[in-house]
Amino acid sequence: MIELFKLMRNKLVFMLMIGFILFIAVIGYSLSDRKKLTMPENFIKDSVIYVQQWIYKPAGFIAGLFEDIRGLREIYEENEQLRLTAAAYTRDKIDYNFIKKENERLQQALSFTERQKALYNYNYLIAQVISVSNDANNRSMNINLGSLNGIKKDMAVTTVDGLIGLVSSVTPLTATVTPITELNEISPTFNSIAVTIMGRENESFGILSSYNSEIDRITMTKIDENDPMTVGDTVITSGLGNVYPRGLVVGTVESKKVGDYGLTYVASVKLAASFDHLTEVFVVQQAELEEPQQ
Amino acid sequence: MSMNRIILIMLLLFVMEGSLLPWLIPSGYGGRIIPHFVFVVVIFASMYSGRHRALMLGAGFGLLQDIVYYGHMLGPHTFMMGLIGYLAGILFERRRATLLMALSIVGMACLLYDTALYFIYRIFRITNETYAWAVLEYILPSLFLQVAFALTFYVPLRRLFEAGLQGNADQEEE
Repeated sequence: MIELFKLMRNKLVFMLMIGFILFIAVIGYSLSDRKKLTMPENFIKDSVIYVQQWIYKPAGFIAGLFEDIRGLREIYEENEQLRLTAAAYTRDKIDYNFIKKENERLQQALSFTERQKALYNYNYLIAQVISVSNDANNRSMNINLGSLNGIKKDMAVTTVDGLIGLVSSVTPLTATVTPITELNEISPTFNSIAVTIMGRENESFGILSSYNSEIDRITMTKIDENDPMTVGDTVITSGLGNVYPRGLVVGTVESKKVGDYGLTYVASVKLAASFDHLTEVFVVQQAELEEPQQ
Repeated sequence: MSMNRIILIMLLLFVMEGSLLPWLIPSGYGGRIIPHFVFVVVIFASMYSGRHRALMLGAGFGLLQDIVYYGHMLGPHTFMMGLIGYLAGILFERRRATLLMALSIVGMACLLYDTALYFIYRIFRITNETYAWAVLEYILPSLFLQVAFALTFYVPLRRLFEAGLQGNADQEEE
């Protein structure tokens, strides 16, 4: 009887060991830079998210109804502000048309290739958020556009307020977005993003390296000591390296100080977008991504 | 029959957890109060329906969670849900848990689950916050939510799993 019990105990430990080794192996495999998901993953993800899309949007609509009633008072102020921006917009539009024409003429004169012309021609695809992960360290979201709609890995995702994340994996019907709050310098799965300052695109440069969740701010490193960046400036993506599109708002500079080694500066950036109760997001599709494959 | 019903209910709960519950949590607390209701149901399975069933349900729904919300890596939820369900099942192999005991077990299991997940993510350098901060920021607030869920649905969940056990025993006798 005791021997039998011992055997059972050993079997338990044995199974636990096997499970643990399997677990480490699976984590190690999935941490690596995977280009494509496997068939069963695609199938399970697509079918679960297909069901979830019937719930998330109606729930959001009902929740939004209550918020609308609460926000009725703020509408007057908002309307006034919008009128001001609309006036500024019509003024800028005239300028913009002239500059665009001029730019096209110069590009023609300098004989730009088709690829160079299409480089900054972004296409914004509107997508619905379907579900949000319930894991504190992995707040990924699923959206209802997939590889059939032309979504690819590493595309930037924004809301009307600003950048919220990057597409981390794609299935035929859905895509998973890793929010920018998961950005981490030493993490093996999320890269840094090159940024600049709105209005001084050629003078300022920095790299968003990691998100500090304890103070809710993103850390921007590798800023030159002669950089004219000041507190309150708007941070936008620079598009250097051509992986992420340029001109997406990230947030505002909150403080700037000398970095660890005294050679460069470090700034903390407050994010512009909020991550709770997201409904509509835009996936930024770069035109030039499809060119090399043709 | 009963197992099918359990799986169906858990699937529904899993779907709700990602799509409906984010809307019920007030804006601004999305990163602090995090529901793990499927995990609570797995703990109920281990208390009232046996450790093997809890292991299967835990590993199955953990894997589902890992695949559907695949952000950094696959595996942590599969392993931790299965293991904690199994361990809680060993504790309750001979006796039936009362309400108070069940609630404290659910609380402790959730604490263990969140802690284990935190350290897995910490080891693989996905996160770099301190443990003390993580406890105050999301582990404790979510713990209250989980215990409240367990208290609210104690009777139907217990009935569901004990009926499942009864059905199983009948089949074995036959």
